[in-house]
Amino acid sequence: MESHILSWITFLPLIGMAVILCLPKNATGAIKGVALLATGIPLVLATQVYFGMFDKSAAGYQLVERVDWIAGIRAQYFVGIDGLSLPLVWLTTLLLFIAVPASFGIEKSQKAYYALLLLLEVGVLGVFVALDYFLFYVYWEIMLLPMYFLIGIWGGPRREYAAIKFFLYTLAGSVLMLIAVVALRIDSGTFSIPDLASLAGAGRLNGANLPFGGMLVGLPFTTWVFWFLFVGFAIKVPVFPFHTWLPDAHVQAPTPISVILAGILLKLGGYGMIRACFPLVPDAFQTFAFALGVLGVISIVYGAYVALGQTDFKRMIAYSSVSHMGYVLLGFSALTVWGMNGAALQMFNHGTSSAACFLIVGVIYDRAHHRDLNGFGGISQVMPRYWALTTIAFFASIGLPGMAGFVSEFMTLYGAYDSADPRFRILVVVSVIGIVLTAAYLLWAMQRVFLGPLNEKYKGFSDISFRETFSQAPLLFLCILLGVFPFLLLDWMDVSVQNLVTMLGGAG
Amino acid sequence: MNPYLDQLGSIAPEITLTVLALAVLALDLVWKGRRSSLVGAATIGGLIVAGAQLLAQWDTPAHTVFGMVVVDRFANFFKLFTVGSLVAVCVFVLCDRRERKTGVGEYYFLLLGAALGIFFMVGTNNLLLLMLGLELLSLASYALAGFHKGNKQSAEASMKYVIFGGLSAGLMLYGISLLYGLTGTLDLSAMGAGTGALSSTLGGQVAASPIPVAIAVVLILAGFAYKISVVPFHFWTPDVYEGAPTPVTTFLAVASKAAGFGALLRFLGALFMQSGVAADVAAYGDRIGLLVAIMAALTMTLGNFAALRQASLKRMLAYSSIAHAGYTLIGVATMTEAGFTAAMYYLAAYYLMNLGAFGFLLYFEGVTGSDTVDSLKGLGWKAPAVSIAMIAFLASLTGLPPTVGFYGKYLLFVEGIDAGLGWLVVVAALNSVVSLFYYFRVARALFLADPSTRRALPQPLFVGFLVVLGIANVALFLYSSPLREWATRSLDIVART
Repeated sequence: MESHILSWITFLPLIGMAVILCLPKNATGAIKGVALLATGIPLVLATQVYFGMFDKSAAGYQLVERVDWIAGIRAQYFVGIDGLSLPLVWLTTLLLFIAVPASFGIEKSQKAYYALLLLLEVGVLGVFVALDYFLFYVYWEIMLLPMYFLIGIWGGPRREYAAIKFFLYTLAGSVLMLIAVVALRIDSGTFSIPDLASLAGAGRLNGANLPFGGMLVGLPFTTWVFWFLFVGFAIKVPVFPFHTWLPDAHVQAPTPISVILAGILLKLGGYGMIRACFPLVPDAFQTFAFALGVLGVISIVYGAYVALGQTDFKRMIAYSSVSHMGYVLLGFSALTVWGMNGAALQMFNHGTSSAACFLIVGVIYDRAHHRDLNGFGGISQVMPRYWALTTIAFFASIGLPGMAGFVSEFMTLYGAYDSADPRFRILVVVSVIGIVLTAAYLLWAMQRVFLGPLNEKYKGFSDISFRETFSQAPLLFLCILLGVFPFLLLDWMDVSVQNLVTMLGGAG
Repeated sequence: MNPYLDQLGSIAPEITLTVLALAVLALDLVWKGRRSSLVGAATIGGLIVAGAQLLAQWDTPAHTVFGMVVVDRFANFFKLFTVGSLVAVCVFVLCDRRERKTGVGEYYFLLLGAALGIFFMVGTNNLLLLMLGLELLSLASYALAGFHKGNKQSAEASMKYVIFGGLSAGLMLYGISLLYGLTGTLDLSAMGAGTGALSSTLGGQVAASPIPVAIAVVLILAGFAYKISVVPFHFWTPDVYEGAPTPVTTFLAVASKAAGFGALLRFLGALFMQSGVAADVAAYGDRIGLLVAIMAALTMTLGNFAALRQASLKRMLAYSSIAHAGYTLIGVATMTEAGFTAAMYYLAAYYLMNLGAFGFLLYFEGVTGSDTVDSLKGLGWKAPAVSIAMIAFLASLTGLPPTVGFYGKYLLFVEGIDAGLGWLVVVAALNSVVSLFYYFRVARALFLADPSTRRALPQPLFVGFLVVLGIANVALFLYSSPLREWATRSLDIVART
């Protein structure tokens, strides 16, 4: 019997949104309750899938649903998950569930806020489960509208600028992606991502059916497709030099939205690459793997270096995301099982640690109403529990052994060092600078905020509340848990990662 | 049965429109201009009758009556399109709070006259009748654009419209006369198939010396370019759209533009893409396609970049409609059956999104008395239903899923790339990104500003109409087969490949 669990997970938030739209504007309690339910039930279902329904030893896609949607262009409602998407689906449901209580402080038009938040969840989950490229693209774009409004309405002083910048950057990326998708569709006659990947594996996705044949302006068709798709996803990650929208969006977005942005939306870029870009043009990927590795290392080092220079707490964390996501790209491009596993793990770990860091910033911002790193001092004396939580989050972000970040960064670097291409060894050496810089900016930030003499203004600060701790706790728990037992993720991903690396032509 | 009467039956919708136009004028005289809403209702009623007659004609096989009027599905598509837009325009007139309600009889009369012009323009293979239909449409439009008689802006708009219209009509007529001289016939299908009166056929002319044919075709294209406001024949568009009463602007942007496309598609289809067309004529058509592609690229780019800086929403929508003409031309430039279908689908999508956007404009003109984007600040919170519908229209105009606008663009992109116009598709895609910036200025004004102190007016009927349009923009994407099917089956003027 076909299971519809993925559809339920995806569309429950949509039902929640419809319910919220029907509620009166001032029934804020009911609205929050519905939002909690509509994000909580998918989390329960996703957990059930993770530990119950998903067979981690089986190759291929599971829990597949496939029905015709737009017959005229043979687009299908085709969803399914494998070891690469399942952890991210679960992470999404978790972070959205955390984002709801983290948003309880928001006063402005709550009905619209929670409705948009739920719509955003539909889009994100849809991308992670979609296996039809048309469907994938539709979900990909559906996310943009709620995100635009969530930043634009509930954001900081420069929210209008940040919102449209985010929108324009992402749309620029996705129209390029659309062109590539159209070209692939014409060439192959299918939108199915698995079919496209197997066609590509057989070398039959080479543009022969397009009017210009396999070559265009002296470059092979696959090169064009590769770069169009890659730029679309790289903007989302964001990879240097496409990252400039990120600090603005992060700084202006309200805390829960920053959490979602860093925790999940950036993962969409990485996930898109390994699901819907590299496997479709494996030859072009191999050709440009080293270039991608270089971009990854530039992101690592540059992101960390710029973060070191920030005085805005949130901006610093935003740049740290650029740096951490650089490992993901480096891991992908190394084309080894270790690297790929590390990168996939790093996506998940960055999802928890960066989300935790943004929540940390939110806590202090709610009290001090500014984020100037130099404006605090000695906070540890009035907020000891907050300091303890921050320490865990920062150490996870630095990648201290025993924390999740260490495992994934180590695996990534090991995988890169092990790459068939010896030039990657230089990249590994260079990226170590990033690790040092990361430790520097985080520890320095901690020193400025928490240590030293107490700033008299902040004497009356109350320590972190139960609600705030409640949002933090699961993330920090995961940071530690996956540092000690990384196999809780790796075992699920392993089969899919092996397949992926073989498909891309790496050493199995 | 009398064959003459049978032929009359084939043009029943046209007869209904004529009778309706006269009846509206008479009713207004009888009621001495006091019952303007009733006149409007009568017009809508009559239009529904005409629409029903058109639907009844759908299954009749294509045939020619009186030697000139072609009754086929292609014409049917554009006629239904016109009737549909006219109904919406009438709803707008009824709901317009700023409009003086005098002379409303003439208003409807002129609208119906313009529609009649469209009916003949899209429903003929004869260049002379096409020209007559186009002129009837133009004359009615000139008067409509200047309908605010005391208003200087409106008068200026009308004047500009007349001058540009006269010029391009002259160019077109000259082109037609050249084509007639070259082939000895005014009938497009005879021209293409080489069965004209003269011994020299179009194919022979193209083979011998393509220059005269090129001049003729380009001159005729200029006439169409003016109607669909394509660069460099777009100069009248912003001023006329801004100066004309908003319902008239809607009519010009939606129905009149679609009619121009209808006639253009028929012209190119009948001349270059029929089954009997000689090989070198068809090859020549591809070169015309390249010209159209260049015009498309210029049009969309200019339209979008000019729209970026407009403070007035009305003027912005004018430039946006220029840009959309550019997108639609991608389908025309492919010179393939599938490309034409995509263009027709895009027109249907364009209908849904632009009617909505203009309706939104009209609604807020009634609220604020102004048409600037800034005047909308914070009104989204006061009139949420209309404003959320507007977000759907904006998404559709930008080409974001899940809307018909996205699907239309997708189809155009597919056909563009398939016809080897990849560069044009890239230009169009980048243009969509540019357009996002100005479309979402509206969204920004509506929702990103703090709630306005103004009160929105309760107009349940109008709001309901706009909300239904907004839902249609999304629903017809999720369930898109019927609309696409309609567009595909309506294209019965070119050879099936």
